[in-house]
Amino acid sequence: MRLDERSVVARIDRLTLRDLRAWMREGWVLPAQGETGPEFDDLDVARLRLLCDLRKDMALPPDVMPTVLTLIDHLNRTRRDLHVLAEALDAQPADVRRAVVATVRSRMPD
Amino acid sequence: MSNDPYKILGVSTTATQDEIKKAYRKLAKSLHPDLHPGDTEKQAQFQAVSAAHDLLRDPEKRRRFDAGEIDASGQERAQRQYYHQYAGQDAGGRYDGGAGGFGGGQRHGYSQGFGGFGTGGEEDLSDLFSDLFGRRPRGGGGQQGFAARGRDQRYNLEIGFLEAARGTKRGVTMPDGKSIEITIPPGTADGQTLRLRGKGSPGIGQGPAGDALVSIAVSPHPVFTREGDDIVMELPITFDEAVLGAKVEVPTISGPLSMTVPKGASSGQRMRLKGKGITRGKTAGDQVVRLKIVLPKAIDDDMRALAERWRAASDFDPRAELRRTT
Repeated sequence: MRLDERSVVARIDRLTLRDLRAWMREGWVLPAQGETGPEFDDLDVARLRLLCDLRKDMALPPDVMPTVLTLIDHLNRTRRDLHVLAEALDAQPADVRRAVVATVRSRMPD
Repeated sequence: MSNDPYKILGVSTTATQDEIKKAYRKLAKSLHPDLHPGDTEKQAQFQAVSAAHDLLRDPEKRRRFDAGEIDASGQERAQRQYYHQYAGQDAGGRYDGGAGGFGGGQRHGYSQGFGGFGTGGEEDLSDLFSDLFGRRPRGGGGQQGFAARGRDQRYNLEIGFLEAARGTKRGVTMPDGKSIEITIPPGTADGQTLRLRGKGSPGIGQGPAGDALVSIAVSPHPVFTREGDDIVMELPITFDEAVLGAKVEVPTISGPLSMTVPKGASSGQRMRLKGKGITRGKTAGDQVVRLKIVLPKAIDDDMRALAERWRAASDFDPRAELRRTT
């Protein structure tokens, strides 16, 4: 799915064109550049909804946004890496998996 | 009532719009699913909070809810896809600094859990931690006093024609492994949905559980069909039974019965067995028996001779009526 600016504003009812352009300037959302202007895909649209939640529903002030977004992005990056690690472990023989589980458990508090 | 939007937001019924907004803002900050990716409990709470807010922030909807014109259940929202659910699959890492140390920029599907602990899919990380590492993700704030009704769960159940007609009890194992007994009332129809109060997802906090909605599919019966509460069936009889009359045994949904075939019965003639259909409380349908004269495959000499003699002597014309009207 590729949406232009107008379609994305129509899709997300809390979003105004002014917000969208400001957020693009800030680099909070980074749509692909198409021939006729920015093109938003599913990931961008989901991120814009999150931005609306943070700015409008939770009323976070603009100056804390870079910090919050950085933390959220780190969290997602870490989760993705953990998934890759979990997949790699899953591909190991059963005794290797058991050994890893036992080691992890022994190092976890309580 | 803990699907009461006021209780979900923790505000009084006289709260101002501003108080409602503040209450929602506070809960959203502590519950937003992108701040707790993979925490399905928080996500459910957030959904409930959002739905309550959607209802109460609109003064017109709020007025109608207060007046009892609409209820809170109509507020259930379509399951939203949150940002982390997309970001988790964005191997290129558009917003978080490119491909990670493990991914190497390759696209990877999350098809498997870890050593059989997870069920795969995007949400299995918190399962992975709680199951594998033997601890629950620690809860943040915002949960005290929070209560919401659990989600409704949908199931499909296929039952036999006789079970549906007579009513029955069926033990069903729910996806969470719990087994419940479902009472299927007599006369349950194909496509009907039974609502089992409190058998859905558990409530959040002190909230009541959701309902289980069980869609019933009734498999057809080789002999019986239904017309409302009447049971309809076709009863094959012999030529001599039709001519002379007879006492024959008829199957019904509650066991075989003896029935009198009148003298001179015809194929297609309908007989009614009062009260032998579907019983619903004090009323009961009938069993409708449609007679069908069946001749043996091989006609023996006696029968042929009898028919020849009868044809020579009789001037009976069953098609006289047809000719008059066409």
